[in-house]
Amino acid sequence: MPQNDYIELHRKRHGYRLDYHERKRKKESREAHERSHKARKMIGLKAKLYHKQRHAEKIQMKKTIKMHEQRNTKKKDDEKTPEGAVPAYLLDREGQSRAKVLSNMIKQKRKEKAGKWEVPLPKVRAQGETEVLKVIRTGKRQKKAWKRMVTKVCFVGDGFTRKPPKYERFIRPMGLRFKKAHVTHPELKATFCLPILGVKKNPSSPLYTSLGVITKGTVIEVNVSELGLVTQGGKVIWGKYAQVTNNPENDGCINAVLLV
Amino acid sequence: MDLQSGTVVASFYFLSSYSVTPCDFIDLTLSKTQRKTPTVIHKHYQIHRIRHFYMRKVKYTQQNYHDRLTQILADFPKLDDIHPFYADLMNVLYDKDHYKLALGQINIAKNLIDNVAKDYVRLMKYGDSLYRCKQLKRAALGRMCTIIKRQKQSLEYLEQVRQHLSRLPSIDPNTRTLILCGYPNVGKSSFINKVTRADVEVQPYAFTTKSLFVGHMDYKYLRWQVVDTPGILDHPLEERNTIEMQAITALAHLRAAVLYIMDVSEQCGHSLEEQMELFKNIRPLFANKPLIIVANKCDVKRVEELSEENQKLFKDFEEEGISVIETSTLTEEGVMQVKTEACDKLLSYRVETKMKGKKVNDVLNRLHLAVPSKRDNKERPPFIPEGALLRRKAMEVDIPKRKLVKYWDLMNKNEKYDKIPEIWEGHNISDYIDPDIMKKLEELEKEEDLREKAGEYESDTESEDEEMQEIRELARKIRQKKKLKILESKEKDVHGPRMPRTVKKVEKKTLEKEMSSLGIDMEDKSNSHYADQARRSRSVTRKRKREASEAPASRTRSSSRPPRDVSGVRDAKMLKKVKQMMKNSQRDMNRMGKKGEADRHVFDLKPKHLLAGKRKSGTTDRR
Repeated sequence: MPQNDYIELHRKRHGYRLDYHERKRKKESREAHERSHKARKMIGLKAKLYHKQRHAEKIQMKKTIKMHEQRNTKKKDDEKTPEGAVPAYLLDREGQSRAKVLSNMIKQKRKEKAGKWEVPLPKVRAQGETEVLKVIRTGKRQKKAWKRMVTKVCFVGDGFTRKPPKYERFIRPMGLRFKKAHVTHPELKATFCLPILGVKKNPSSPLYTSLGVITKGTVIEVNVSELGLVTQGGKVIWGKYAQVTNNPENDGCINAVLLV
Repeated sequence: MDLQSGTVVASFYFLSSYSVTPCDFIDLTLSKTQRKTPTVIHKHYQIHRIRHFYMRKVKYTQQNYHDRLTQILADFPKLDDIHPFYADLMNVLYDKDHYKLALGQINIAKNLIDNVAKDYVRLMKYGDSLYRCKQLKRAALGRMCTIIKRQKQSLEYLEQVRQHLSRLPSIDPNTRTLILCGYPNVGKSSFINKVTRADVEVQPYAFTTKSLFVGHMDYKYLRWQVVDTPGILDHPLEERNTIEMQAITALAHLRAAVLYIMDVSEQCGHSLEEQMELFKNIRPLFANKPLIIVANKCDVKRVEELSEENQKLFKDFEEEGISVIETSTLTEEGVMQVKTEACDKLLSYRVETKMKGKKVNDVLNRLHLAVPSKRDNKERPPFIPEGALLRRKAMEVDIPKRKLVKYWDLMNKNEKYDKIPEIWEGHNISDYIDPDIMKKLEELEKEEDLREKAGEYESDTESEDEEMQEIRELARKIRQKKKLKILESKEKDVHGPRMPRTVKKVEKKTLEKEMSSLGIDMEDKSNSHYADQARRSRSVTRKRKREASEAPASRTRSSSRPPRDVSGVRDAKMLKKVKQMMKNSQRDMNRMGKKGEADRHVFDLKPKHLLAGKRKSGTTDRR
């Protein structure tokens, strides 16, 4: 009965086959030819995947080869020149950068007065009503068309109860109700799964805001007590705004970026 | 290896198809989904079809992952379900916590994948376009693959465990076992090599054996296991490393006879005192096990050559009742003795244990040894005739049988004492021993000649009886007649298509003529099956005499054949029923004025009485 390291033991006692090393060497040298043959003959999706993988491999190989070559030759050290260093004939242009700073400050103050927030996605495609709301026909002859069903992801609060079905105009299906969002902190570059507190503003229409429809570019409020942020005064921050960066109805999840 | 307390079976074959790295796993499953589910879909298909198409892919991928992971979980043994010896061994080798954690992670991954699939299938129900459903499917598959990617470490660990597990020796914890233990390099592996067919490596350095080995041997028509362990050093249990722990595990869990092997010559590098210390330290492990001390390497140094204190140590053992046997695996001295004694001890111990147990009574109740009772006090010893005794004695002693050979008178005196062969050059020597043999041969040959002349060897036809002769005669006639017929048919000049013989009806006259020519009596017509044509033909011919001009062209249908609607009908009652059935099946058709059973023409698609009047249009449910 073969037990424990029987293969190694056999090798130790009886050695290798007489032609083992030669065959191994030949097989390894043949491998390159076989790979190229396979790469040429493959078709279809498999081929695409394989070529992509092979391409990445080749890039890596080329990089290492180049690195090895670089080691052998001497080059000018780029890092010795510090950033922001300016050649002599540009030295007396410094004055202009300060003016730039001042004008930026003025612009920002004007924007704040106008109530425009700085958000990561300033412009988003507006979603029309036909896109977001689907007409539901009711009635004995299916002629009445005053009901609408939301086709995008939405958020309803905790204490939400539906209106009696006969009177509810906007249907928000349970399958499309989400409670959590994946929020990324832009500086920490870390993502957390935080519960949503509410929808602050939907850029397409105030109607959507009131319904709680979440599309790309919507500003939502999330519960950040997990992160343990504290204000300067010592109070715990537990709600922050975040802007949605993906299309939740296509991806099945809400990805957002925290607005700091 | 069967880890349950049962029979010893082959090693782990499982998981040979599951040795997949995580990236392979993902690639395999995704390409399988792509191959096994339909691939063609268009925007203009109905939305439920599009949804079903993509949902199927999500579910298929989930199913595959689920099945694979379930198989992995099922195949790995649960440490709680197997024999404690193996559970302990696996703990020593693979760390129970790590093992359980890895399997737990796989389980979690499986549940996560199921949940992902469920969520996305639910979302897909609200997909209203091909693009949306496609994106959802992409998200679902991506999520599942990420989950598997995260399990990379667990899967790699489990793969290593599987490979090691498949090479563990299959030790049956319940059968008769001998365990060898002692310091490293004392001669345990050489012992097992001598006693069984196991080929364990033997080398001069310590810790050559790094894990348990098992060998099998036979004794008293029973199969015995011998377990070789790695050497144990003398330090407390907490400090022991994995290799030594395997030996400790074997000692602790296997109910076996223990052979503690000591190196008398101290060639292993440890003195006798150290070996004694070790013995004392692991003594608790030998409780309830038959024990034998084996003093090995006695070809180098015998126990008698040792110093007084050391000899005293061995004497102490003898006093305690533990047998000490000197062996040398090099000269094989004492090895058999050790084997027999250990086996006997273990057997008696096992029998004792079984007798003390509860199950014995079930068996003992059914066993009964019957001994014939004595009739009287007369002694009846076995009777052996004297001749037999003498012969036996003669066979035992090596008496040279040919005493008189020295008086033989041979041409070549040296050949007297040669062994006489039985066969020489193909001839049997005993055939030529008779001195009259040539004369006898001549006489035999003469006799043979006489016999041949008398015709004894010819085939005897007179022995055949009448019956056989008749049969032969008949056969000859049949053969002749056949040949004639063949010639006749060849001569027949038939142009055109030939009708097969069965089409033409055989006439009574020709039949009778032929049969009578063959010799069969055709007069007796009581049992004949002639067709009933004779009477009919007579009556028809009578009518035909009045109108001689009309003659029937050919009677294609025999008038004896019944019409179709009464053929097969047995009696009038059946006929009536048959007619009734026919009428029933035609009734519905006739009532509707249909031409036949295949006529489906609808005359009036919009009947006026239903669509006119007050209830003519609108959403009335009934009409």
